[in-house]
Amino acid sequence: MQKTSQSSPSRRPDNTAYKQQQLPACRVQLTASRVLLCFFATGLSCLAMGIVLLLSAKGIQEVEINYTETCADCAALRENADNFDKECSCSIPFNIPQAMQGDVYMFYKLYGFYQNLYQYVLSRSNIQLVGTDVKHTDGCDPFATLNGTPIAPCGAIANSMFNDTIILSYNFNSSEDIKVPMLNQGIAWWTDKYVKFQNPSFNDLPSAFEGTVKPPSWSQPAYELDADTPENNGFTNDAFIVWMRTAAFPTFKKLYRRLHRTQHFTEGLPAGSYSLHITYNFPVTKFHGEKSVVLSTLTWSGGSSLFLGLAYTVTGAVTWLAFFSMMAVYVTMEKRI
Amino acid sequence: METKMALNYQGKSQKRSAVEKSINAFLIVYLFILLTKAAVCTTLKYVWQSNPNNDEPWYNQKTQKERETLKVLKMFTDFLSFMVLFNFIIPVSMYVTVEMQKFLGSFFISWDKDFYDEEIHEGALVNTSDLNEELGQVDYVFTDKTGTLTENSMEFIECCIDGHKYRGAAQEAEGLSETDGPLTYFDKADKNREELFLRALCLCHTVETKTNDVVDAATESTELTYISSSPDEIALVKGAKKYGFTFVGNQNGQMKVENQRKEIEVYELLHTLNFDSVRRRMSVIVKNQAGDIILFCKGADSAVFPRVQNHEIELTKAHVERNAMDGYRTLCVAFKEIAPDDYERINRQLIEAKMALQDREEKMERVFDDIETNMNLIGATAVEDRLQDQAAETIEALHAAGLKVWVLTGDKMETAKSTCYACRLFQTNTELLELTTKTIEESERKEDRLHELLIEYRKKLLHDFPKSTRSLKKAWTEHQEYGLIIDGSTLSLILNSSQDSGSHNYKSIFLQICMKCTAVLCCRMAPLQKAQIVRMVKNLKGSPITLSIGDGANDVSMILESHVGIGIKGKEGRQAARNSDYSVPKFKHLKKLLLAHGHLYYVRIAHLVQYFFYKNLCFILPQFLYQFFCGFSQQPLYDAAYLTMYNICFTSLPILAYSLLEQHINIDTLTSDPRLYMKISGNAMLQLGPFLYWTFLAAFEGTVFFFGTYFLFQTSSLEENAKVYGNWTFGTIVFTVLVFTVTLKLALDTRFWTWINHFVIWGSLAFYVFFSFFWGGIIWPFLKQQRMYFVFAQMLSSVSTWLAIILLIFISLFPEILLIVLKNVKRRSARVHHLISSSA
Repeated sequence: MQKTSQSSPSRRPDNTAYKQQQLPACRVQLTASRVLLCFFATGLSCLAMGIVLLLSAKGIQEVEINYTETCADCAALRENADNFDKECSCSIPFNIPQAMQGDVYMFYKLYGFYQNLYQYVLSRSNIQLVGTDVKHTDGCDPFATLNGTPIAPCGAIANSMFNDTIILSYNFNSSEDIKVPMLNQGIAWWTDKYVKFQNPSFNDLPSAFEGTVKPPSWSQPAYELDADTPENNGFTNDAFIVWMRTAAFPTFKKLYRRLHRTQHFTEGLPAGSYSLHITYNFPVTKFHGEKSVVLSTLTWSGGSSLFLGLAYTVTGAVTWLAFFSMMAVYVTMEKRI
Repeated sequence: METKMALNYQGKSQKRSAVEKSINAFLIVYLFILLTKAAVCTTLKYVWQSNPNNDEPWYNQKTQKERETLKVLKMFTDFLSFMVLFNFIIPVSMYVTVEMQKFLGSFFISWDKDFYDEEIHEGALVNTSDLNEELGQVDYVFTDKTGTLTENSMEFIECCIDGHKYRGAAQEAEGLSETDGPLTYFDKADKNREELFLRALCLCHTVETKTNDVVDAATESTELTYISSSPDEIALVKGAKKYGFTFVGNQNGQMKVENQRKEIEVYELLHTLNFDSVRRRMSVIVKNQAGDIILFCKGADSAVFPRVQNHEIELTKAHVERNAMDGYRTLCVAFKEIAPDDYERINRQLIEAKMALQDREEKMERVFDDIETNMNLIGATAVEDRLQDQAAETIEALHAAGLKVWVLTGDKMETAKSTCYACRLFQTNTELLELTTKTIEESERKEDRLHELLIEYRKKLLHDFPKSTRSLKKAWTEHQEYGLIIDGSTLSLILNSSQDSGSHNYKSIFLQICMKCTAVLCCRMAPLQKAQIVRMVKNLKGSPITLSIGDGANDVSMILESHVGIGIKGKEGRQAARNSDYSVPKFKHLKKLLLAHGHLYYVRIAHLVQYFFYKNLCFILPQFLYQFFCGFSQQPLYDAAYLTMYNICFTSLPILAYSLLEQHINIDTLTSDPRLYMKISGNAMLQLGPFLYWTFLAAFEGTVFFFGTYFLFQTSSLEENAKVYGNWTFGTIVFTVLVFTVTLKLALDTRFWTWINHFVIWGSLAFYVFFSFFWGGIIWPFLKQQRMYFVFAQMLSSVSTWLAIILLIFISLFPEILLIVLKNVKRRSARVHHLISSSA
């Protein structure tokens, strides 16, 4: 009853800032000087950044050796899937005119290999790869089982793993060939190597993989991927992990080895003649693809792409162009007053 | 079903706003884009796969099931998969947001304290939230006069008895010499006639009394409260009371009147011939104590004058006309003595008519017509209805905002006209075009005369306004203004005239005239005629948005008919307020409702709609482009979590906050400068131009996102330690740029930064970053694929990625920034010009 008698004042809308749409607010004030200053500063920093990026990209050295055609015999051999167990290798001499200073990385580069096909990307079993159940092959079609036995590692991605062996030799004093020491570990993401990919927990790897078969395209089972370092085998093999991270585009590079800076190579790769000894296993001509080896140094911004540097420079230039034209308009307007 | 209400009732149809219609149009465009994209991708997929190497490379063999499926079926499923992949281009979440915006936004109207009225202790009421933005799009305002433009608190001002004028209150009619006030009547009529007149006022009405039930028995003078559906009647009864005749009450058909000598006169009420808007008069038949049977009739002059003996009219007529010119509502009072035998007959007829089962209405009308003849005119009354507070300012503001204001009233022309002058609907320089029974004259050649007039007016208007209709609104301020007056009978002549070929022509000419007039006054309108007019204007070329405002039951049909109906919580009950879309206490509130609320709502929702289409297009465009690089295999660019969260979490709240809080122009500025309203008229922000601008902006940004990142990925590695990124990192970079760009674009558009905006915009971005870390930070047991595991964190460990993200955001926003700056310069230079010209 009390309430009804006081109903009239309660109907009055609350006089709060929110309800009256009077919230304190700042309105953006664009004054000419502020805008001009912003444009100038942005243009300047873009230009500076662009130049820095361009300069550092220029310092990078990169060598690419396409061996699809140079190893034509092997390529022809691999066109026929029946010859998968026949060995084929070739050797490609090349020259590095200038020493490659610092860390040198070796990539393999594939052309026209679609690692991003929808079915392909799906075709893997993370439960298997994380070591929980080595026989878990759900979603691995069409490479889930072979005659009823589960494949480990299963799936199209694992099956198509890049399996060429590339050995770089340095022709020292034009007489003696030295094998350039290369590391095949530390090339995958840390989290992949130590969390996402785990071997099944058993005393020794071969027994852990018991009851499974190797993927049809592989020449050796997963636990024999790296004969030299026993711990770099199974699902935690670095090269395997690198391959399992599917590339975004049909032309892609993947890290293969990194230079072990010892002996003659503490400063990087010296200038001189080199040769690549390639065990040619991976068929690319079947799908009209190509493959090559890339040797490259890197800087703080990564690889030798001019794109970022150019983009920054152009953006900076355009911003300055806008700045100067606005300045001109502004000055003439001021004069008129 | 034959009550007045039922007859005037119109089915309530769903009202949809112009913005909603635009949304549907946009949706069709986007649906078309979606279908095209899916069709293009499907076609290209099969073109691409016609090469067997691409169809089934050795590394991606088909399963047995795939090989066995029919090709047609596969094509169909591919098409559907592409539809699913690109379906985000249709902003489904927009509908939810729009509804939320409308629902929450409508509260601001009911919360507005400027709409609060001290007298009735009420503020505005929102009955629908669907039409908020329509308030910003109004082209025509139809307003009722009584109770809307005016207070509808009637005051008895003067009367005239037998042509003698009586004016002034608190004065006894007979007290010529004994009064202390100044001499207020110039001439005096016969005492009997005076008393007869006052008795007529006391008896001829349907007022009921209510004695205040305060049990203060001590005082005899119990307060009498009069209750009636018509404030006029109360004013008249109160007026009579001032002159000494008090209506005490009606008990069992006995009407009691206290006369000047404090005696109670009792009349037996025999019949009441109710008021209706066609007859425009009402009568009562009473029997006094002496047994004489008298009929009292009061009604509009046009309804009464033809029914009285001719020689009495002249003086009174002059009076009535003068009063009407002053804006008073006039009524004429007449009486007739009925001989007992006549009464017998009348009584029989009346009862018969009342009892009739068929055509009762018509029969009653005939009987009434028959009875109310040959009366004697006694006099006329003038009642003032004061203009509402700020009615004139409001009308002026509406005019300045480019709205056409039509006054639709049932009152007589002179009264309405003077009200229109008073509220500045017509100004002194307005040239009036009249289409009334007066100008057309009561002749047989009515239609010909009408035709002549119409042609003449049209010629005049067309001559004055050269063709360009676009500049019409601006032209108003410079050119001669025209006002049109039309009355109900002429209107029905125009609308429903005989079926000859000319009738259609009349209508179109009439509409042409109407469109050129800034103000139109329609008087003597029946309720349904009001709706008829609204419908007529609604169906004009370009379908203008109409708004009706009224307070009484007679305005309901017009309120329902127009796009936006506004009810005034007036004295004639709540009928109008209940049937309206919005109701406000006073007419003056219309100004803020349209100019500020309507404008803001429109800008907000228009921006919201455009923004939603924009953000979904630049969301899905990279995904479409990606199909060209993944063999059209329907590989999604973004992770599933990002796909679902994008519209729900990452980009929804900033736009909602914007669409509730944005004030691109101050509310005060909006109300004080009505011309701003013109800027958004005609659904300006959702026309093809702005739509294309937004679409191209989205296409540009989507392209920048995709190809910017694509070129970035051409390098060997983005990290100094040569770690290589995969497709999910690519998608995540594109997505990060996308979320930031889209949100910052909104930030650029926001002119009114409250803490809520800050919180929501920066909060959304922070949430995105937080979520991405979280989503990639755990091996989720329920997920088959741990594709996002540490992708985001790893991505951020690269300097190049940071630089690229920042650059791409900047490039995407650069055109927008440039545009904002240019607009500012333009506005500034316009202001400078203005300053120069004004100082010169």
